Amino acid sequence: MNWRIIGQVVGILMVATGLSMLFPLAWSHWYEDGGEKAFLLSMAFCCLGGGVLYGMLRGPMGEGLSQKDGMSIVAAGWVAVSFCGSLPFFFSGFVPGFTDAFFESVSGFTTTGASILEDIEALPQGLLFWRSQIQWIGGMGIILFSIAILPFLGVGGMQLYKAEVPSPVPDKLKPRIQETARILWKVYLLFSLMMFVLLLCGGMDVFDSLCHTFTTMPTGGFSTKNLSIAHYESLYIESVIMFFMVLAGINFALHFRLLRGDGLCFWRDGECRFFLLALGGLVLFVSLGLWGRVYETLGESLRYGSFQVISIVTTTGFATADYTFWTPAAQLVIFFGMFTGACAGSTSGGIKLIRFMVCARYCHKELFSLVHPRGVREVKLGGRVVPEGVIHGILGFMALYLGIFALGALVLTTLGSDVVTAVTATASALGNVGPGFGAVGPAENYAGISVSGKWVLAWLMLLGRLEIYTLIIFLLPEFWRQ
Amino acid sequence: MKIVIVGAGEVGYHVARRLAMENKDVVVVDKDPAALRRVSDTLDVQVVQGQGGSPVVLEEAGIREAEILLAVTDSDEVNLVACLVTDMLAPNTRKLVRIRNGDFDACHPLLRENAPHIESVINPEIEAARTIERLIRVPGAVETGELVGGLVQFVGLRLDAGSPMDGVMLPDLPRHLGGARTLVAAVLRDEKLIIPTGADCLQSGDLIYLVSEKNRLLDVLSAFGKIRKPARRILIVGGGRLGLRLAASLEKQQYQVKIVERRAQRCRELAGLLDKTVILHGDGSDQSLLIEENIRGMDGVVTLTGDEQTNILVSLLARKMGVDMAITRLTRFSYFPLMPTIGIHQIVSPRLSAIDSILQHIRRGKVLATLSIQGDQAEVLEAVALPTSDIVGKPLRNLAFPKGALVISIIRGSEIIIPSGDSVIAPDDRVVIFAKRKTVPKVEKALTVKLEYF
Repeated sequence: MNWRIIGQVVGILMVATGLSMLFPLAWSHWYEDGGEKAFLLSMAFCCLGGGVLYGMLRGPMGEGLSQKDGMSIVAAGWVAVSFCGSLPFFFSGFVPGFTDAFFESVSGFTTTGASILEDIEALPQGLLFWRSQIQWIGGMGIILFSIAILPFLGVGGMQLYKAEVPSPVPDKLKPRIQETARILWKVYLLFSLMMFVLLLCGGMDVFDSLCHTFTTMPTGGFSTKNLSIAHYESLYIESVIMFFMVLAGINFALHFRLLRGDGLCFWRDGECRFFLLALGGLVLFVSLGLWGRVYETLGESLRYGSFQVISIVTTTGFATADYTFWTPAAQLVIFFGMFTGACAGSTSGGIKLIRFMVCARYCHKELFSLVHPRGVREVKLGGRVVPEGVIHGILGFMALYLGIFALGALVLTTLGSDVVTAVTATASALGNVGPGFGAVGPAENYAGISVSGKWVLAWLMLLGRLEIYTLIIFLLPEFWRQ
Repeated sequence: MKIVIVGAGEVGYHVARRLAMENKDVVVVDKDPAALRRVSDTLDVQVVQGQGGSPVVLEEAGIREAEILLAVTDSDEVNLVACLVTDMLAPNTRKLVRIRNGDFDACHPLLRENAPHIESVINPEIEAARTIERLIRVPGAVETGELVGGLVQFVGLRLDAGSPMDGVMLPDLPRHLGGARTLVAAVLRDEKLIIPTGADCLQSGDLIYLVSEKNRLLDVLSAFGKIRKPARRILIVGGGRLGLRLAASLEKQQYQVKIVERRAQRCRELAGLLDKTVILHGDGSDQSLLIEENIRGMDGVVTLTGDEQTNILVSLLARKMGVDMAITRLTRFSYFPLMPTIGIHQIVSPRLSAIDSILQHIRRGKVLATLSIQGDQAEVLEAVALPTSDIVGKPLRNLAFPKGALVISIIRGSEIIIPSGDSVIAPDDRVVIFAKRKTVPKVEKALTVKLEYF
């Protein structure tokens, strides 16, 4: 393994994280909220640590990267950046201990949106901004961001890209990885800008608009308010956020095509079409179920039903209502939504719809071959045959995902959580959603989870964000054998 | 600059690799997912799976925005169809195609003027056969290349222990050569390519790359202790396309040629196509056959079978039996660095020749020819010095020329200048430049017209 290059890249990522604290520092300074010290201290730590790491390992980069190096860089990079991100929380003193700070930081970078903070509004503005900013950076991917701006990563960029964005059907928009990364970030930036302006028009102040944009586009879910989006009681703001949550749940490659003038690409893409149809169906199902039982009018049912369903399915985790008081069927839809996620290539978490589609078609193929033992049938997606190897990869991924979910829930109950809390917190962390049920419902927070439980959940979030394989191969003895 | 490459075989892969390293936008098309995986796993290029001749696939690969189409699949037919389709979809895209069938030899100009409008047909076997002939003609050469229509010869030779040049400092070289003008462009020592300066001296075991005028080459070589009687008797092992082409050319030049071919049917075909060549039916690795055919009496053995292990083996066998010159055809580039260790020095690779010709067309500026050195460690480029280029009008020592690159000759009209630091390149001179791989993009930039950037 190429330790030198891994260390170098991790060092650079740490310095970059440190430098990115300039933005919250500026807010802290502007609002005079007393948070400057925490940021200055954290910046010093990150830049010094990263700089020393980089300086020690400086030297020739060597020829390209192996797949193993790529995965190591991505995994180590995410852990290191999460660590750096936790420092401002830790130094500020608003967070009880390092475990909580790390949990909050991981939850931010992985765009989960689960918080250990009981009173969010008590935080200094700078820290609130930092919470939102790390979600925005984590959403499109810290590595993808590095590829876009650091030319020297071009050589091994593909390995890194595959390790951070392990889509089953990789979509390279441009021949060169750096160009692809830049396009994705540009689309991301453009949408963020649009949303920011739209929120401003709805009467939100600049700070809140920016923070909520930063947590909606990556389907993160941190809010600056204790009541999340419910705080604003504005149908307009809810609609804007819903609209952008849906957009963020769609493959960014499609957005690029849309911006290039291909108006029908959402409909022509099988996964996106399925996502939009399924989302519509679920919203109707949940809202009709709520009508008359939880909410009096159909309008109210639709308003709260649609927001919660979209928020969970896109793995954002904003709340306008507490779904733990909803009907059992609606609750179960929300719970299942934590697993599905939205489209591959989007900023959402979860298993991703494309894997379910391939899985369903594979099952259909198996059943077909029972009826026609000599029949020949291929699993197709968008008119193309899905190679056998990809199908196996997808089935393996789903099995691994469910296995880790089961194990995680078991561990959490062992550590003292009740069944509902443990099961839903695990699903929520693994899917990068945020809220769960029981003690971690949308109106609650993760402060009550035990210290070891928080560590377990933090790792689950990282596992979910990097789509399992990139992190889990480190447990394989074969990985370490030379 | 966007380039679509159809065919992810050895040639497609290596051209893609070089171009991707030079930060060009490359899309590779192939019908075999396994070949594509090799490409996408290791190179920063886009891949598209599908038939190379299909309009749909080419469209998906973005042929309309592509500046160059490169068709290098194994099948001549697919390559031609890809060009034809490209001609219809994107008439402005330049088309380079590999065609190996010798029957097309006479049609190359027709293909340029008519329907597919192919800018250049690349037949690696023609180039490889020429390389082999040069290796046979130039005694002691390990690699040879011709530039400026053959006026300038680029030769790689190994300095044996006991050579008169062993230990000579480079500035003293002209004295030892007695007036023959030459310039040492690079030295390969312990598998490392170095561009020597005045402080370096030559050591035995070095592989020396030098340029010389064509008519003084033999003098230069004899000064280096490379004297040998001209080769006459050549044994070719493997009677495939390349073997046939080589034999046909050699027998016209009064060489005595024997071909060993394993397939009886092919032997009969060869017998029909060749006149003076002796065709032997048998296995080239069969030692008794070689002895029976008096391999010791041969001046050179050329192993050209399709199987490189056989080629290596037969060449080793020939070397062991006392043949001075064993020219070996290799396809897999990863074998190249191993060969000197086992005593095989003269290697030909049609694929490498193909890559050379292709790169020459892709390079910007007025590049007329390129030669690959040591696989792809370095390149020799022949180019026209454009009047607006950065390199014109200044003494060489004042040029901000990229480190790792060297101007090794200047050709003005029919005059050949082996340059020193005081030489000045005039507009429209032809220059030959030796450049390490990493500096190629910079050299390319220096050669391009400055106006292009405005």
